[in-house]
Amino acid sequence: MVIDIRRCIACHACTVACKAEMAVPLEVNATWMKIVEKGAFPDVRRFWLPRLCNNCTDAICARNCPTKATYKREDGIVMVDQHRCIGCKYCIASCPYDVRYINPLKNIVQKCYFCSHRVDAGLLPACVETCPTRAMVFGDTNDSKSEISQLLASNATVVLKKEMQTDPQVFYISADEAAMSSIEERINYYTETAFIKLRI
Amino acid sequence: MEHGDVNVVYSVEHQLPLIMYIGQYFFFTGLSAGSFVISVIATLLGRKEFKPIGKITAILAPALLIIAPLNLILDLEQPLRFWHLFLYYNWASPITYGSFLLTAYPIMGIIYAVMVFTNRQKAAKVFGILGIPLAISVHGYTGFILALAKARSLWNTAAMPTIFIVSAMISGIGLVVIISAIRYRWFDKKANAEQKEQDKKVILQLAQIMAYVIMMDLFLVLSDILVLLTAHSDAYEAGLLILSGNFAFLFVGVEIILGSFLPILLVLGPKSRKSLTAAVVASILVNIGVYAMRFVMVIGGQTPPLS
Ligand code: SF4
Ligand code: SF4
Repeated sequence: MVIDIRRCIACHACTVACKAEMAVPLEVNATWMKIVEKGAFPDVRRFWLPRLCNNCTDAICARNCPTKATYKREDGIVMVDQHRCIGCKYCIASCPYDVRYINPLKNIVQKCYFCSHRVDAGLLPACVETCPTRAMVFGDTNDSKSEISQLLASNATVVLKKEMQTDPQVFYISADEAAMSSIEERINYYTETAFIKLRI
Repeated sequence: MEHGDVNVVYSVEHQLPLIMYIGQYFFFTGLSAGSFVISVIATLLGRKEFKPIGKITAILAPALLIIAPLNLILDLEQPLRFWHLFLYYNWASPITYGSFLLTAYPIMGIIYAVMVFTNRQKAAKVFGILGIPLAISVHGYTGFILALAKARSLWNTAAMPTIFIVSAMISGIGLVVIISAIRYRWFDKKANAEQKEQDKKVILQLAQIMAYVIMMDLFLVLSDILVLLTAHSDAYEAGLLILSGNFAFLFVGVEIILGSFLPILLVLGPKSRKSLTAAVVASILVNIGVYAMRFVMVIGGQTPPLS
């Protein structure tokens, strides 16, 4: 999948489409919009980044899943078998992109599967279908004639945390470094978290 | 760009995946592995004064290891599916090594305990020696669980399994000191004065060994921190988090000062080195310190947001 931030207007339509299509419960998200503000008044600008599972080619979540509930399909989509997952959450701890969540209704782990059921039926993922500016492009990167391959060949693209060696399959065009990095978030973060997030 | 000039307006963070059940599990397996190793050493040395310790620890090791995996199962979102671990194993995942080790090790431990109690010295030695690699891997693999989850920079270091094994030894010895002191004080009425003197000496010796192992642990922790602080930016943040962030009190205060320096002083200090009370206090502190270490590692490691 390619996401062209030059076209994206941060309308959150992809988030809503995903919620509806995949029946994602309240409080969790399979896809969302990360928004940061950069600079000091009056020189301020907002940058944003649609976030979802990268369906990595070398997915650490699949390697670490002890039951093979997380597995890769032939076409590269990383799936979670909801009848096999035991909810050990090791995949959540291993994923460098924080895109997995526990479905509070089903008590198993879920994430974005590029709408595999729609892909199988020859349709586009719900977010891609919905995007009003056509900022998201989905397709087969191995087919050199596909729109996505041509976009990848003719644009500078980046992926999240390349250093993690997971080979992410969501490519961004014109993404800002501040929106892609999680470091800034951490700086202001230490005081609030862990103890609140413990679900004891 | 200065860090201060960027504000995150909106992002989603998912909840902490692994909670303190996991830390507690690490703590109990650590205690078990530690006491097993002590027990085997006592059996191998075969000296009469080590016998009681050999027996206590032979029971402790499998008993603790029956409690430990309960924590793991409680942590699952689908506890009733735990058998999937054996049916659908994945050799690439450290949890899979763990599920088999956690089955083999208590069995070995129970056989060994039976041999010790029925006084079959030779067989006890054989099963003891066979059990040591199991005991060490049962605790070492927990280090791999953390180290191989590469997203978390506090965990992703090659030192992690060794740190876990060494801290297991520390807490294991600590527990043995506490229990043998209880036995010495209240449950050993029959022994004569000479035997009592012997027992006390053995306990104090154990406490001293503990102090030396703590020094080793301190060295490992120091090297880990030094590398964290000089490696990439994520690692640097993780280092700061435990040195001066939210977890500083638990890490520096409880784990390092209360759980390492103070016990070393108590056990090796010229005034208190002959005192059983000091050894017991040191052992309790050490166990508090190791528990805090598990907390800092499990919870602290997952605190920095990744998205
Ligand atoms: S983004 Fe995370 S959950 Fe998705 S495939 Fe990659 S490692 Fe797995
Ligand atoms: S929570 Fe489920 S999908 Fe994730 S690692 Fe455990 S069994 Fe696999």
